[in-house]
Amino acid sequence: STGLTEDQKEFQKVALDFAAKEMAPYMAEWDEKEIFPVETMRKAAQLGFGGIYVKPDVGGSGLSRLDTSIIFEALSTGCTSTTAYMSIHNMCVWMIDTFGNEEQRHRFCPSLCSMEKFASYCLTEPGSGSDAASLLTSAQRKGDTYILNGSKAFISGGGDTDVYVVMCRTGGPGPKGISCLVLEKGMPGLSFGKKEKKVGWNSQPTRAVIFEDCVVPVGNRLGAEGQGFSIAMQGLNGGRINIASCSLGAAHASVLLAQEHLTVRKQFGEPLANNQYLQFRLAEMATRLLAARLMVRNAARALQDGREDAAVLCSMAKLFATDECFGICNQALQMHGGYGYLKDYAVQQFVRDIRVHQILEGTNEVMRMIVARNLLQG
Amino acid sequence: QAIDDDCNQTGQLLAAMLDWPQGTFASRVELEDGAVRVQREVDGGLETLRLRLPAVLTADLRLNEPRYATLPNIMKAKKKPLEVIPAADLGVSGGSPRLKVLQVQEPPARAGGEKVESVEALVEKLRQSGRI
Repeated sequence: STGLTEDQKEFQKVALDFAAKEMAPYMAEWDEKEIFPVETMRKAAQLGFGGIYVKPDVGGSGLSRLDTSIIFEALSTGCTSTTAYMSIHNMCVWMIDTFGNEEQRHRFCPSLCSMEKFASYCLTEPGSGSDAASLLTSAQRKGDTYILNGSKAFISGGGDTDVYVVMCRTGGPGPKGISCLVLEKGMPGLSFGKKEKKVGWNSQPTRAVIFEDCVVPVGNRLGAEGQGFSIAMQGLNGGRINIASCSLGAAHASVLLAQEHLTVRKQFGEPLANNQYLQFRLAEMATRLLAARLMVRNAARALQDGREDAAVLCSMAKLFATDECFGICNQALQMHGGYGYLKDYAVQQFVRDIRVHQILEGTNEVMRMIVARNLLQG
Repeated sequence: QAIDDDCNQTGQLLAAMLDWPQGTFASRVELEDGAVRVQREVDGGLETLRLRLPAVLTADLRLNEPRYATLPNIMKAKKKPLEVIPAADLGVSGGSPRLKVLQVQEPPARAGGEKVESVEALVEKLRQSGRI
């Protein structure tokens, strides 16, 4: 909590309290039984966590990107997978809030901010992950509707959520032909694939989203035709900070667990904490966590201040934080010895849950591409 | 227990001054017709009283689970006006404290114990020091 304002410390306190009481006791069960904790998330939404950086006139909390990062980091100490989903939901609501017209904002945002309805973000397809601009899902204009055909892969919340923010091709190839449409569950032609079995992120269902002559009113398009890719990229800047923040929370919780274990567990007649190697290791973990946290918060500030280099900073922060934090959680597991491998102990779930953060919201390889491009062209 | 002196007397004093019944350390409160049923946390366990209204109640921490502050409320809290009302405006005189702190001291440091050889020796020691 260094360098935070009084308000930010209060937000952090509420989020930490909520994480400790409403999430941490259940994270193992949610993971094992693959439960999507709708009621708990609605409780979180009542506190304002459903649309953290969405404008208040449609039900959001109107906070900054830094406030958001602090909150997600804190919530993540309770359950990383659920918090990560909440961050995706928040990104979707923000997109509608920012790029939608007044009618769309008032139609969708209030029920999303309260989490009466849940949202999913659909960009990735079986044939286009990192190469997002090559997406194929087509949206053919027909009168005052679009007819969608194609499919999306790996959609978090897919099938259980109500609102889908979908990037699809309305124009020619490449990024300029992509538009953004908002779909709702129940629209004819919208169906879902099987629920995927994952290593982690099990408190959120992941499914393919399938469009077969799916009819969507033109009034559901966010922004102009051809603006979709720009919307997606802007959304990802914040999304990267959010995911990185979730990694920070998991690493923080893992360091605390390791610290506890080192003082309690004895071998060779003394607590593990008496071993210099482990002391040094713990110190390194804490140092790297702080470095990652500062990078993420710095990127958040740059984004909310509208700085030119914000996108690059967000990519750097996501790359650094997700990599470092996975290392930290993994180290924490190692420090637990055999116990670290048992599902009775939380540290393995943090490891499993944040592993995917190095892959989604832009793989860490793509993050390197973005930074390199900036360095070599700038 | 007041936040300054922790004396646990405000509710009780108020009840005595008003001559109203009191239910202190309430961990459960149920309103009935013209009365209130209060479950109190006492040293030996729980005591339930039925008090005619009006009554004075003081709350124990087991009475309720505090709500989480919501994000919008945290932000509004800073902007809430803090109204300062002088005691005279409320028609209250003699606002100066009537309690004077004479001395504050730590409890005596705990002295080391003593190992004894047998149960009889233990009983003898306890009797000698007046404990039994």
